[in-house]
Parts: sequence; C-alpha cells; structure tokens
Amino acid sequence: MDDASSTDASATDAALIDVDIRKTLGSGKRQFRLAVAFSSRCQRIVIIGPSGGGKSLTLKAIAGLMTPEQGRIQLAGTTLFDTRSSIDLAPQARRVAFLFQDYALFPHLNVRQNIGFGLSRHWLNPGADSGCPEVDYWLDAFNLAPVAHQFPHQLSGGQRQRTALARALVLQPRALLLDEPFAAVDPLLRIRMRTELDELQRRLSVPMIVITHDPLDAEVLGDQVFYLQDGVITDSGEGWPGAGRG
Amino acid sequence: MKRHPCHYLLAILLSLAALPGLAGDLVVSAAASLTNAFKDIAEHYEAKHPDAKVLLNFAASGTLLQQIAKGAPVDVFASADQETMDMAEAQGLVANAQRRDFARNALVLVVPADSAIEIAALGDLAQGAVRRVAIGNPASVPAGRYAGRALEQAGLATALQGKLINTQNVRQALDYVARGEVEAGFVYATDARLMADKVKVALEVPLDIAISYPIAAIGISSSENASSEKAASAAEATRFIDFVLSPEGQAVLDNHGFARP
Amino acid sequence: MSAAMDPVWTALALSLKVAGWATAITLVLGTAVGYMLARWRFPLRDLLDSLLTLPIVLPPTVLGYYLLVMLGRRGWLGAWLHDNLGINLIFTWQGAVIAASVVAFPLVFKPARAAFEAVDGQLEQAAQVLGLSGAKIFFRVTLPLAWRGILAGMLLAFARALGEFGATLMIAGSIPGHTQTLSIAVYEAVQAGQDDVANRLVLITSVVCVTVLLAAGRLMPGQVANRRDGDRG
Repeated sequence: MDDASSTDASATDAALIDVDIRKTLGSGKRQFRLAVAFSSRCQRIVIIGPSGGGKSLTLKAIAGLMTPEQGRIQLAGTTLFDTRSSIDLAPQARRVAFLFQDYALFPHLNVRQNIGFGLSRHWLNPGADSGCPEVDYWLDAFNLAPVAHQFPHQLSGGQRQRTALARALVLQPRALLLDEPFAAVDPLLRIRMRTELDELQRRLSVPMIVITHDPLDAEVLGDQVFYLQDGVITDSGEGWPGAGRG
Repeated sequence: MKRHPCHYLLAILLSLAALPGLAGDLVVSAAASLTNAFKDIAEHYEAKHPDAKVLLNFAASGTLLQQIAKGAPVDVFASADQETMDMAEAQGLVANAQRRDFARNALVLVVPADSAIEIAALGDLAQGAVRRVAIGNPASVPAGRYAGRALEQAGLATALQGKLINTQNVRQALDYVARGEVEAGFVYATDARLMADKVKVALEVPLDIAISYPIAAIGISSSENASSEKAASAAEATRFIDFVLSPEGQAVLDNHGFARP
Repeated sequence: MSAAMDPVWTALALSLKVAGWATAITLVLGTAVGYMLARWRFPLRDLLDSLLTLPIVLPPTVLGYYLLVMLGRRGWLGAWLHDNLGINLIFTWQGAVIAASVVAFPLVFKPARAAFEAVDGQLEQAAQVLGLSGAKIFFRVTLPLAWRGILAGMLLAFARALGEFGATLMIAGSIPGHTQTLSIAVYEAVQAGQDDVANRLVLITSVVCVTVLLAAGRLMPGQVANRRDGDRG
C-alpha cells in the first residue's frame, strides 16, 4: 500500500532498497537518459517494462557493474553508492548476487568448480574434484550432484540456471538480482521454473529483485512491482492489477 | 619462414630482367668498392653508345662469383682481387685470355672522424681502447682477405681475433666506422674518401701484394653454339671492357681515387 | 680449424637461444598489450594498434635500419645506454634478440588481442560480482579462455624469430658463436661457396621447424583433430 519513489528520510530508514540514480548514455539523437528513483521495504521486488527501458542498466548499477553519474543506492542498510559522499563500492565488495540472462557460467569449469568459484580467493581455480560442505550442500539442494562433473555446455537450460543460482547463493549474498531469468526459456518450463524460484526465495528469505517484461513473473514473484519505461519509473503497485497475490 | 640468400633472389630477378632479351642490355657485376666509379663509367659509356644499356650489380666479389656460378646471366665481372677471378677461371666461367687488370687500389685503416684513439701502426689495434674492428668476411670479401693477410704478416691475427667483426662487404665495414659502432675498420682508400666527413684514415696498410682489380667477360670461352644473341652479348661485353681500359674509362677511375693497373 | 659440424651446432644453439628469448619477451609483452587494447577504450587505440602491427608490414631491412639508428652508439637510445649504463647492443646476441622480438611482436599481439576480445565480457563481470579482484580474474577466467589463441601466435613468433635475417644482420652482424644465427650462417656459407656447410645448416633448420610444427599440432589438437574426427564419421 505504500507509494514507491519516496525520498522521505523516515521511510528510507526501513527500506530494503533505496535507489535514486541518473545516467546519460550515448549522444545526440541516440541519447538515453536514465533517471530511476524508487524505494521499497518489500523483500520481493519486480521491475517490469518494455525492452530498452533501462531495467538491465538499473540492475547493473545496483550490482556495481554500471556507474551512474549521480545518485545514491542503499541496500539493506548499507550504502553501496553515493556521489555526494563519494562512495562507490566495487562489485566485489557489494555482496550481492547477479544472475545474467544467459547465466554467464564459466565454460572451462565444471559445475562443481563453477559453484565453488567465489569461495576460493586463490590465483588458481578450484580443482575438478574439490569438495567443500557449502558446494556439496547446494549441489544436493538443486539436484545437481549427478552432473557435478559436467561442463556448462552439457547441461540443460534449467540445470544451467540452477548452477548459476547455486554459484551466487553459496556466497550468502545480501540480495539476489535476476536479469530476465526466464527470457530464454520456453513457456511450459517457465511456469515450473517460476514456481521453483518463488519457493526457493521464500525458503531462503533472501531479498530478491527481478527484472522482466513478462507480467506473469510480476504476479508470482513480486510483492511490489515497479514499471520502468524510457528510463523512468512511471508506476508502481503491489502485485499487478487483477492479480492480488502478495 | 625461410629466408633465401639474397643472391638466389637476385639471380632469379636478373634472369627475369634478361628475358625480354633486349640486345643492348649489358649486365655488369662489379665489386662493392667499384660502386661509385662504375656508375660513373656506365653513364659515360651510355652517353657514348646510346643504344647500349648497362645494368649494374654490386656486392662483395665472392658473392658475385656465387651468383655467376649458380647461373645468373652476367656479361661482365669486375672483381676486387685476383683470387676471386682465379676461382672464376677454375670453374670455367671465364677464359684466361679474356681477363685484364684495369685498376689498383690501396687498403687503409680508418677510424671515426672524432676518434681520439692513437693508431700509428697495425700493432696499435691491440690496445684496450680498441674493442671492435670491422673487416670484410675473408671468405667472400677481398678487402677482408687483404686485411687478414696483412694482419697475419704482422703477426697480429691471433691477438685481434676476438675484436674482428665480419661484414658482408667493404662498404658495410665503412658504414660501421662512420657510425662509430666500431673503433676501426679495413676499407679501400677509394672508399675512405667517400665519407671524408665521417671517417679519417689512420694508416695505409702495408701489403706484400698489389691490390689489383681484374675484369673479364663471362661465358665467351664456352660458346659452342654461338647464337646471334650470344655473339651480340659477347661483342657488347668486349666493347664495355675496352671502354673501361680506354683513356676515358681510366680517367673516371682516376677521379674516384683508383690507381692505374 | 675443426670440421664443418662445429659452426653448424654453434649456429643452431645460438638460433635457439635468440629465438627462445625473443619468444619469451614477445609472449609477455604481446599478451599484456593485447589485453590492454582488447579491454580499454581510448582515443588513439586504433592508431596504436597500427603502429604496433607495423613490423609485420615493414621490410626487415627497414626495421634493421631503424633499430641501428636508434640503438647504435650515436643513436638516441643507444647513446644513452652507452653513456649511462655502459651497454652496447650492436653486434651482441642481445641485439639479435631485440631484432627478433621486434619482428615477432605483432605475431603474438594481434592473436592475443583477438583471443581476449573473444572472451565474453560478462564472464569477467560475473567473476567481479562473485568477489574476485582484477588480476585474479585475468588468471582464472580470461587467460584460460584465451590461451589457445595466444599459443598459436607464440608458435608463429618462434618460427619468425628463428628465421629472422635482415634486421638481425644489420644490428647484430654475423659473429660466429655470438650473433651468427642459422639463417645468417646459411647465407654466408652459400656466399663463400661452402655448399656442404650450407646443406647441413639447411637440414638442421628444416628439422627444427618441422618439429615445432608437429609440437604445435599436438598442443592444439582442436585445430588438427577436427578433420580426423570428420573422417571417422
């Protein structure tokens, strides 16, 4: 019931996420102005809108993969970015999980190595057989143990996404950022994966921000939904008109 | 990525050049030290015989011999020493009756123009300040052979062995001295005067033999089927050699610092 | 004076030493520069790329001349080296290494840049979000995915360095045991009419080159094996 895009100090104190960023890309006729401002106390946020509207940019800004020209990003009480105080945490330091549309699994590493990638801070990748409790836990949780030695190109779409999720979750991130998680998936599988993601998030209660152009995603996964078009938030609401879930 | 020795390529190119078979073309291979003098002579020759065209090819005498031996279509060969011409004769490339001596030269030791090192005799090359001495590769460069001979006679060959830098021809030795890459170099007197601003002569190298340049026509002796083309080439070659020996040719050589044969 | 075999083995050892050093140097420099030009955008990037590729296009003798002018005792770099560090590069095997490195550099740098550009930038971004710092990302993500292309370039560079002649002759001269590499030794043997020596040198060089090619085929089974797999159907 709360109105989004509130910059009121008392409201942002309790907010999970508070974003207010500006960036101009390109020049001349092909210029794109991003001016996104929203905040929310919900744990499950969906940003929906047409392609090219700036959703991906916004998500990348939160992860630290894109640097806005101006603004502020606060997540779960930590300031990730603030031009006024010259704060700009490196992506390495933000402890958020970012899931790319095509998962960005490391093609030269098997499933086990992919999942354990972030756990090892050495100069060399973990060995093909290296096991540790965290990796084993997620292999089991996502039913990936049978394919633990396979490489990304040998996996199905669903397995790839679970591997990417496991790789992110093993690091206990502050939040899960998902960039169009079901864009490359066929409709039938999409329903199942959406439900699984929904259940997973509830089970782990890790804050989640999903960007998508599919209204059904917003219905199932969003406690609060923001509509982003042409670089600005134009609407927001709880759930989606006509849905009523939350 | 193999690199073929330049003269194979040159032999091929010369063959291609000879294909059109222009009657007036005369291919002259001359020792590197004759570069400036023979360019001049060729100009005078062409002025005198407008139908003639002289194609000049300069390199170390040994290199030129190898080209001819491997089949390069050369009409006239001018070498910087008798030894190379002897080898040509031994291989049946020239007839003894055909070779004539046309010039003499002197071997000198040059140093960079701004060098402060005192060198009054060959023995001074042994001093520590002299680290490198440029000398033509004795295997193929007559100037290097002359220099090696002089050093051996002075008993310095072993002492200087570590300092000698072999060059591909006498002009390269001159260039290294001019650049200051070596402290001294063995070149001909005629070469030294070309770069009088960059090198100075330290001494004339004492030799027991004269540096005498022979010139000969190639292949005239072995023309069993003397086609009209070959006969024409032979006549042209002879005409050129006669010119080199004529007062006019000799005057050009004088101008460049060569002595009479 | 020992038999003709001596100069042959000396020349071979020297060629391998010079080519080895040149390959090592160009591998490190070529990879680093290839990575920089692949990942960083700056205004004169294309111009710099062209300049660095120039040694492939320029005749070796032209390169040799430039190096001689630069590194000679009166050259702007050579004079400084001589006056301040007592170093003289002309007529030394180190000079030969420099000549070989200059001509071989583009052969590593260009494939390296292409290989790095072929690595999906998203993978590096993913690694960043997973907590790894830049250098570690390079060694754990970028390089493992790019090394095949770099290796191909490295073998080309080795072959080129081994065969380097024109530039080497100019600045390193032809000093047996020090700078007389196989290519130069062949040249001089032929000039001097020593065909037997030349034959031995050419044979040795051919054996080395064929060995390198075979090794290349082993190391990059992908390129070579494709055809064989196709035959098996």
